Amino acid sequence: MSSGPHNRGPDLTLVAEAAPSSVASPRSEQERPAARELDWSIYMARAQDGDGEAYRRLLEDVTPYLRSIAARHFQNSGDIEDAVQEVLLTVHAVRHTYDPARPFGPWLVAIAHRRVVDGLRRQGRSRAREVALDIEHETFAAPQANLAETASDGRVLRDAIEQLPFGQRDAIRMLKLQGMSLKEAAAASGMSIAALKVATHRALKNLRKMFGRQGGKT
Amino acid sequence: MITTPDLIESLVAGAKPVRRLRPPAARAALWLLFALAIVSLLAVSHGLRPDLGARLDQLLFVTGLAASLLTGVLAAVAAFIVSLPDRSRLWLLLPAPAFALWVSTISYGCLTAWVEMGADGLRLGEAVDCFATLVLISAPLSLAILVMLRYTALLEPARVAAMGALAVSAIAATALSVFHSLDATVMVLMWNLGIAALFVGLANLFGNKIFSLVAPR
Repeated sequence: MSSGPHNRGPDLTLVAEAAPSSVASPRSEQERPAARELDWSIYMARAQDGDGEAYRRLLEDVTPYLRSIAARHFQNSGDIEDAVQEVLLTVHAVRHTYDPARPFGPWLVAIAHRRVVDGLRRQGRSRAREVALDIEHETFAAPQANLAETASDGRVLRDAIEQLPFGQRDAIRMLKLQGMSLKEAAAASGMSIAALKVATHRALKNLRKMFGRQGGKT
Repeated sequence: MITTPDLIESLVAGAKPVRRLRPPAARAALWLLFALAIVSLLAVSHGLRPDLGARLDQLLFVTGLAASLLTGVLAAVAAFIVSLPDRSRLWLLLPAPAFALWVSTISYGCLTAWVEMGADGLRLGEAVDCFATLVLISAPLSLAILVMLRYTALLEPARVAAMGALAVSAIAATALSVFHSLDATVMVLMWNLGIAALFVGLANLFGNKIFSLVAPR
């Protein structure tokens, strides 16, 4: 569908008159909000007619401005970026409601405030249901997630290894805790490889038996 | 989460030329023309009330009729203006004087008629007929204004829905008082005020969801 024929007359003259100044002095945009707003108005008018480049410049130009509006209401940078994106999406969805004969600023700010208020409401709702999670609060149902308990599990395992008979204890320490190969362990302990294998097997069996009484896991 | 530059790229890529909205007054006029067409069709199929000529000589009836019609027109204009993001909310007050006048004539007519006729002025047959007419007028008008203002779901849904509902109610009430000789009883008050309150209340409760059904996303 092509753009409608109505409501065009004044906009085209506006574009023709103001376009050269906006192209010639892009640096002065920061100092002159009125000129900047006029540029936005022109970009939006062109974007409505299907000019993708003008649309990209408009969206890129307004993003820092929207971010500053959002930053007044949100602290979290993720929330600020969410709000900016919501505003951009809304601007995109309702861009046909902008009348280029009117100033662009109030149109944009009205949409931005609408989305910021929605964001604050959503935040209020989720805050009412959720509790902020600190590192000290990390307690989950899955035992693997609880680091403090893993440490105490390690202590329990070491105590259990201490209770094993002498040969089995050495075999487990060398082969499983220190990570030696069978050959290295045989050289270090003077036991044969076959004897080490048997000792390790018995040690694991004994440990399994010890822990089986408590929870059933090795 | 998508980054903002990526979002801008995707929006630019999906940007087609759009048709700018006509001025709000012109869009309101379009909707009112549609309302006129509906009411005229109903007038042809249903027929006007038999005592319309006599009633049109009564100042109270004419004032009420004009006030409700004016409320409908102004509320429609206000709905289309307020639906745009950059317009003042003070436009919501546009139909207020006409609405106040309309409400005052209904109440007065009801009180005088109550004294004259007594409580047995209500008849079920007429009431059901009246209700059918009401639905026949309101349903297409509500649907039309809903579609015409669908983009407002992303902006100010509750206020615009309330204003649109007021416009529909006022137009429907105007048509009812031309079609049905059910005035001067509690019925008129119930219909005119009750329906307006119901529409506005529902629109306030579900404003967001109602427009979201047809929202552009």
